[in-house]
Amino acid sequence: MMTPNERMTSRLGLWLWRFWAMTLKELIQLGRDGLLVFAIAYLFLFDTYMAGNVGMNLNNAVVVVHDADQSAASRELIYRFQPPYFKQGGEVADVRTGQRLLDTGGALVVLDIPPRFEHDLLTGRPTAVQVQVDAANTVLGFLAASYSSQIIGQYGFDQALARLGQSASALENVPIVQSEHRVWYNPNQKDAWFMPLSELLVVITIMSIMLPAAAAVREKERGTIEQLLVTPLSSLQILLPKVVAMTLVILLGTAASLGLVLHGAFDFPMKGSLTLFFTVTALYAFTTAGLGLYIATIARNLAQAALLAILVLMPMIFLSGAWTPPEAMPAGLRQAMYLSPLYHFIEMGYGILLKGAGLEVLWDSLLGLTLLGAGIFGFGVHRFRRQFG
Amino acid sequence: MGKTALVSDAAPVVRVEGLRKRYRKQTAVDGVSLAVQPGEIYGLIGPDGAGKSSLMKAVAGVLAFEGGRIEVFDQRIDSEAAAEKVKGRIGFMPQGLGLNLYPELSVEENIDFFAELREVPQAMLATRKARLLAMTRLDRFRDRPMKQLSGGMKQKLGLVCTLIHEPELIVLDEPTTGVDPVSRRDFWAILTQLLRERGVTALVSTAYLDEAERFARLALLHGGRVLAEGPPQAILNAAPGTLVELAAPAQMEALERLKPHFPDIEAVGGRIRVFVPDGAHAAALERVHALLDGLEVHETSASPPTLEDAFIILLRREQAVEEEQRTVARRTDDPPPADGVAIEARGLTRDFDHFRAVDQVSFSVRQGEIFGLLGANGAGKTTVIKMLTGILPPTGGAGAVAGADMRHAGWAIKERIGYVSQAFSLYQDMTVRENLRLFARIYGVTRQHLDARIRRVVELTGIGKVCDELVARLPMGIRQRLALACALVHGPRVLFLDEPTSGVDPIGRRRFWEILVHLARVDGVAILLTTHYMSEAEHCDRLALMHAGQLIADDTPLALKDALQREAGQVLDIAAAPVLPALQALEAAGMGQPALFGRRLHVLAQDVDATRARIRTLLEGKGVTVHDITLKMPSLEDVFVHRILARERAEAGR
Ligand SMILES: Nc1ncnc2c1ncn2[C@@H]1O[C@H](COP(=O)(O)OP(=O)(O)OP(=O)(O)O)[C@@H](O)[C@H]1O
Ligand SMILES: [Mg+2]
Repeated sequence: MMTPNERMTSRLGLWLWRFWAMTLKELIQLGRDGLLVFAIAYLFLFDTYMAGNVGMNLNNAVVVVHDADQSAASRELIYRFQPPYFKQGGEVADVRTGQRLLDTGGALVVLDIPPRFEHDLLTGRPTAVQVQVDAANTVLGFLAASYSSQIIGQYGFDQALARLGQSASALENVPIVQSEHRVWYNPNQKDAWFMPLSELLVVITIMSIMLPAAAAVREKERGTIEQLLVTPLSSLQILLPKVVAMTLVILLGTAASLGLVLHGAFDFPMKGSLTLFFTVTALYAFTTAGLGLYIATIARNLAQAALLAILVLMPMIFLSGAWTPPEAMPAGLRQAMYLSPLYHFIEMGYGILLKGAGLEVLWDSLLGLTLLGAGIFGFGVHRFRRQFG
Repeated sequence: MGKTALVSDAAPVVRVEGLRKRYRKQTAVDGVSLAVQPGEIYGLIGPDGAGKSSLMKAVAGVLAFEGGRIEVFDQRIDSEAAAEKVKGRIGFMPQGLGLNLYPELSVEENIDFFAELREVPQAMLATRKARLLAMTRLDRFRDRPMKQLSGGMKQKLGLVCTLIHEPELIVLDEPTTGVDPVSRRDFWAILTQLLRERGVTALVSTAYLDEAERFARLALLHGGRVLAEGPPQAILNAAPGTLVELAAPAQMEALERLKPHFPDIEAVGGRIRVFVPDGAHAAALERVHALLDGLEVHETSASPPTLEDAFIILLRREQAVEEEQRTVARRTDDPPPADGVAIEARGLTRDFDHFRAVDQVSFSVRQGEIFGLLGANGAGKTTVIKMLTGILPPTGGAGAVAGADMRHAGWAIKERIGYVSQAFSLYQDMTVRENLRLFARIYGVTRQHLDARIRRVVELTGIGKVCDELVARLPMGIRQRLALACALVHGPRVLFLDEPTSGVDPIGRRRFWEILVHLARVDGVAILLTTHYMSEAEHCDRLALMHAGQLIADDTPLALKDALQREAGQVLDIAAAPVLPALQALEAAGMGQPALFGRRLHVLAQDVDATRARIRTLLEGKGVTVHDITLKMPSLEDVFVHRILARERAEAGR
C-alpha cells in the first residue's frame, strides 16, 4: 500500500509533476525514433541549406554571340555581358547553331549582331540587335531578357551621348530621367537570404503540425491511450505535454538552423531581437499544433495523419506568400491570405530578422497570429477531448 | 494421441538441425534440432523467451537465421526465394491478437481476402468458411469489422484465415491464447480432424499445458535449447513423482511444514497441491502425512503429476525458476474482515449501435476479495471492465468503485484503481524503468519516494533483471508482469486485470497468482480479473459467469461445482485408448456430454454405477481399451463447458 506521505499533496505541484513526467516521456519517445530524428535534422539543417543554394538568381547565364559585324562597337556590346549575371559562351558561326544551343540547354541567351552594326551606329541610322532567350524557366528567362535589354538600352544610350559629342561627365545637361532603384533590407538582393528563411518558416510549420499529430496518433495506433485514460490525467494533461515537448524540439531546430545555416553559411544579418523572434516562433508552433491534434482525431494511423497533414499544409503555404508573392495573387486570394497563420508568421519573421522591426510595427501581424492560433488550438483540443475525454 | 500410429517413417515435413538465431546481443535459439513427421501435431512448450516464436518464424520462412539448417518439404530454407517456394503450402499464424488481419474489413471480408490471396476455389470457399465460422462461433458476426471484435474473437478469426486454404503444414504460435475453453476444445477437434482427413501436419506452441498432453510429440525449450523431447509421456517420465492434494484447515501451518521438503507446492483455493518426487503413491502419501502429523487433514488424494508439474520440475532442475522471495505461507486462510464493498455494478448495460454487448449486469466485490469474471469470447467481460474503469461510458445502469460513484466521481475512482488491459498497452519504445517512472509520477508519487516505490513493485513482480531493457524486446510473460507492476505502482485499492496471464508460461502464472493472493490477503486489495485458464479460476474467491452480455452465474467455485453435480450429475473421468474414437462413440451414443480433457474423457452421469458399466460395454464393443473410469470432483472447466453448452442448446432450441 502506498502511504499518504508518498503522494504529492499540493494540487499545483501534482499538476506540474504530471506535466513534467509526460513531457519527458514525449522527449524520450521522440529520441528513440531514429527516423524521425533524422527527418527533423534533415529539414532544419540540410533542407534550409539547399534552399539557399538554389535561389532564383540569374547566375552566370551563358551567352553565345553571332557577331556578323566583327567590329569594335559589336565587341564593346558583347563585353558588357558580364558575370555575375552572364558568362561568355563564345561565338557561333550562324544563328541556327545558336538556336540549337538554346534547345539543348547549352546557352540561355543568343545575341545576334547584324552586319554593318558599327557602320549604322556611326552614321546615325537606326539599327537593331536580336536577343533570343530560353524562357523554359519563366523566371530565369524573364530575368535574362530584362537584364539584356537593360544592357543593350544602356549601350544605345551611351552611344547616343557619344554621337552628340558629349562626354559622360556632361550628363547633367541632358534632360533624362534616371530611374534609381534602391533595394532595401536585402541590398544585394541575395536570394541566399530570402529562400532559406522562407524555407525555415515552412519547415517550422510542417513540424508543428506533424510532430504533435504523430505523437497523438501513435498512442491511438498502439493502444497506449487506453492505459492513459484510466489514469487520473485530464485530456489537457495528455495533450499539453505533447505540444510543449514538440515546440521545444522545434525551437531547438530553429536555433540550430538560424545559427548554423542562415548565419553560419549565408551570413544572414539577424537585425532584430532574437528573443522576440523565438517568442513568436514558440507561439506559432504551439498554436499550429492544434491542427496536428485535430488531424490525430481523424486519422487512424501515421500514414493517414501524414496525408491529412499535407492536405492542410498545401493551402497554408500557398496562401502564405512563401512561394508566390502576395502582389502576384488575384484580389480574392489576397484577402484569403490573412487566414493563413503562416502568412502572419512570415511577415513577422522577415520583419524581425531582416528589417529589425519591433512590436510597434508588427503588432497587427502578432494580433492576427494570436487570434488565428488561439482559434486553431482551441478547436484541436476540443476535438481531441470529444474523442477521448 | 491415439493417432500416433499414423506417424510413419516417411521423410519428415520439417527438419531443423542446429538452428541458431541471435538478436543483437541476445541468443534466442541456440542449436535446436528436431523433426516433424507428416500427419502429427508437434508441440513446442517452454517458458517465456525460450525461443519458441523465433523457431516457428524461421520454419515459416519469415525470419533469417545465422546458423544451422531448416528443411521444409525437402526444400532447404536458406534464402527468401527458397522460402517463397514452399510458402504456398504453409499456413503461419504469428503470436498476438489478430496481428495478420485488417481492422477495417469485416470478418467475412478478411476471410475472403485471405482465400483470394491463397487462390482458394470459389466452390470450396463457401463450405470451408461455413465450417470454420461455425467452429469458432463467429458466424453471427460475419459483417462486424475486425476492429470491433473482442480479443479472443480476433484470435479466432486469425485462425480461420490461416486455415482457409487448408495448408499442408500449419505453423501456429500460441493459437489458443485468449480463446475461451469451449472454443478451444472445438479448435483442437477441428485441427485433429484436418490431420486425420487431409494428412495435415502441424507445428504448434501453447501456454496451456493441458492441451499439450494431446500432442503426438513435444519439445520443451529453454534458453534457446531443447531440454526434453518426445511424446508427452516421455516428458512426464523425466520428472517422476506423485502429486498429493489435500485440504487442511490450518493451511498456513501446513504449507510452512511442507515447503522446506517439497519446494513445488501451491495453495489453490482452500486446497494444497504438493509434488512429491517419488513414484509410488502410497509412499508419497505417507511422507506427507508424517510431516503434517498432528494437523487436521482431509480429502487427501494422490495422482500422477500433470504435464504442467513436470514442466516446472524440469525447469527447476535447470534453475530456471527464480526462488520466490515471499513464501506462499503468507497466505492466511480467510480474507481479511471485509471493510466494505470495493466494486459494485448495478444493472450495467452497454450498446454498440444496435448490438447489446452488456445487458443488465449486477454484482459486487468486497475489499480483499478476488473476483473472477468468466465467459466465452465476446461475452462482454472487457466491456464491463472498461465501463467500471471509466474508459467507456455505460448506456445504462450505475456503479461504484473504491467508494466513489461512477457517474459523478470518475476522477476519484481513477486515483484509486490499477488496470491491466487485455491488449498490452504500455510504451514499447521505452525501458521498463522509464515506464514505471512515468506511471509513478502520473499518480503523484513524490520524488523522494519514487525509487523506493518502484523497487518495491519490481521486487514484487520479479522483473529486476530487465529494468533497463526496452519493453519491445521483452517476451510476452515478462511484459505482463511489467503491466502488473505499472498498475501497482501507486498502491491502488482496487485492481482490474483483463486476462493478465494470457500467454504467460506456467511458472510466470504461478508467480503472478502468488502476487495476487498476497495483494488480496495481506494488503486487502480487491481484484477483479478475467481469465480463460480454468485452473486459475480456482484461485478466485468468487466467480461470475457471463454469456452473451448477461450474468448467468455468480458464486464461489465450490458452490458452482456443487450446483453442477446437482443439476447434471457426477463427473466420470475415463482413461481410454485410443481416445478419439472413444469420444466419437460416446458422442454418437449421446452419453452425458462427453468432453476431452487432456488425454482423458469426462462424462456427466446421474447414476454413476450404471453409466460406468454402460460406457465400458459401449467402448469395448468399439475396440477401445478402457483403462479405468473414476469418479472425479468436477473442475471449473467442467462447470464452464457445461453451463455454456447448456445455454447454447437452450438458445438453439428456442
Ligand atoms: N467498439 C465496439 N463496437 C462494436 N462492438 C463492439 C465494440 N467493442 C466490443 N464490441 C462487441 O461487444 C461484444 C463484447 O466484447 P468484449 O470485448 O467485452 O468481450 P470479452 O468478453 O472481453 O471477450 P474476450 O474473452 O474475447 O476478451 C463483442 O461481441 C464485441 O464484438
Ligand atoms: Mg476481453
